[in-house]
Amino acid sequence: MQNRTRNIYLIPYALWIVLFVVAPILLILYYSFFDIDGHFGLVNYEKFFTPVYFKMALSSFWYAFLITAICLVISYPTAYLLTKTKHKQLWLLLIILPTWINLLLKAYAFLGIFGTYGFANAVLGLFGIGPKQILFTDFSFLFVSVYIFIPFMILPIFNALEELNPSLTDASRDLGASPWTTFRRVIFPLTIDGVKSGCQAVFIPALSLFMLTRLIAGNRVITLGTAIEEHFLVTQDWGMGSTVAVFLILIMALIMIVTGIRR
Amino acid sequence: MLAEQAIIRFENVTKQYDEDPPVLDDVSFEIERGKFYTLLGPSGCGKTTILRLIAGLTEPTKGNIYFNGKLVNHVPANERQVNTVFQDYALFPHLDVYENVAFGLRVKKMKKADIDAKVKEALRFVNLEGYESRKIQEMSGGQKQRVAIARAIVNEPEVLLLDEPLSALDLKLRTEMQYELRELQRRLGITFIFVTHDQEEALAMSDEIFVLNKGKIQQRGTPTDIYDEPINRFVADFIGESNIIPGKMIKDFLVEFNGKVFECVDQGFHPNEPVEIVIRPEDLEITEPDKGKLRVRVDSQLFRGVHYEICCYDEDGNEWLVHSTKKAAVGEEIGLHFDPEAIHVMRLGETEEEFDKRLESYREVSHAK
Repeated sequence: MQNRTRNIYLIPYALWIVLFVVAPILLILYYSFFDIDGHFGLVNYEKFFTPVYFKMALSSFWYAFLITAICLVISYPTAYLLTKTKHKQLWLLLIILPTWINLLLKAYAFLGIFGTYGFANAVLGLFGIGPKQILFTDFSFLFVSVYIFIPFMILPIFNALEELNPSLTDASRDLGASPWTTFRRVIFPLTIDGVKSGCQAVFIPALSLFMLTRLIAGNRVITLGTAIEEHFLVTQDWGMGSTVAVFLILIMALIMIVTGIRR
Repeated sequence: MLAEQAIIRFENVTKQYDEDPPVLDDVSFEIERGKFYTLLGPSGCGKTTILRLIAGLTEPTKGNIYFNGKLVNHVPANERQVNTVFQDYALFPHLDVYENVAFGLRVKKMKKADIDAKVKEALRFVNLEGYESRKIQEMSGGQKQRVAIARAIVNEPEVLLLDEPLSALDLKLRTEMQYELRELQRRLGITFIFVTHDQEEALAMSDEIFVLNKGKIQQRGTPTDIYDEPINRFVADFIGESNIIPGKMIKDFLVEFNGKVFECVDQGFHPNEPVEIVIRPEDLEITEPDKGKLRVRVDSQLFRGVHYEICCYDEDGNEWLVHSTKKAAVGEEIGLHFDPEAIHVMRLGETEEEFDKRLESYREVSHAK
């Protein structure tokens, strides 16, 4: 009896999962077996292993890796400093705040800032460095992506550092370890779970970035995300788009398994 | 230069955070080599702060700390010949027992073979042979405690600091560990500084006790000194149970309380000086109502296993706590007998220095006799 009522509560959630997670994945899988002329087969999968898509996948990985790495390098010290400040909740709020603003709005804001007559070039002008092409470069793409993803990296690392028992660092110092050794042997190994979930939260969405590639990188950066968008909206090759999506899902699952292993 | 007997010396050390009242207020003391010291006091009395100052985990606001005669105020923790057993053990959860104990040696870049020998020896010392590859999470409270001790002593410190290491253990294990720690200190021959709020622990293990309250050392001395001759109400109350009654010192060896005059063994007071009297509950003996020195009515009684704890009131409304192996009847009148030696007289507001001087003076008198 009790079990049955509990199952009733699960219905909305189960429905949601089936309709909006399971069904779309199955649909994508289904579409991926049809080529552009509607013939059933593995043509799309053969195509995916051609140099064109291989390059795209590689570039996706490369940019996602760069974004994650830069985020990590910036976020770890920031999170560490944050745990030492007096008003940590306030600072944390300020860091989280930008995530509440729509991604598109932020991207447009950067168009203004990085534009030829924008703020960035005005500052450069003050130093006598004439207007530079900032938009539609690798730099602007990485900068904006990192800006967008940083809160997702800081948050889990901050939480891991907060959970760290401060007497462990005392013990390490007491046993003769310098601050750097303490970080290397105690603090970092014990916050590695936070780093892992931070990397997950940045790397996986960064793999499929597509809007920024157009707005900020001016289509100079082609990722798997851009490929999917192109196939669905421009070339109307839904089959190929689905195939790319299938691979993207597989890669994401793989990353989650690799980084998700916990002690 | 003479080899200094004191291994640690505090000179007017004050520790204060922001504008709060100081955690440690102008404290001076010396710690000698090879003894078992206990810092005893209620929470917030500054005992852990002293430990952290010695360990180098915090710096004094004012005053100087010397280690082996050298000023160490600004020497960081990792450069001090001191190791700590932390209250929550602070064992590294990502390392196994072996690596926890080896941590300090690895940091010193010792040779692998030497590390191995030392870790094995330390684990043997605390009876944990064969536990090398255990995870910390798999160890019981008592075992963690031993790992923490092994991890500290493997570095061969000159001073071992122990921050309430027994507070998380159950009673039986705690008593066992008291014996073991005392034994360990004798075998190692190094200085132990043990922090606790448990007076029984302090009395059982220490060579020397510092009783602390509100950032000041109230009294220092051997366990028997402190138990038998508490300097003030706080110490008398904190160390063991006490009956503390206001009284008046008529003259040497004669004290008045409860409206009666009693013989005692204290001296060196002004005539008719108001004082406080301490009588330990175990020094009170139950007799017939007419035969005792005091007449009280039994209010309540608790069976404590070893003895009965009997709470009585005299006619003036003073409470008297009695520890007796004999049972009393609640509501009945009884007599209380005590010897003159059982009375301990405390001067009001006497400092530790004045107290020591007074004790010294009448020891001389009794020698002259």
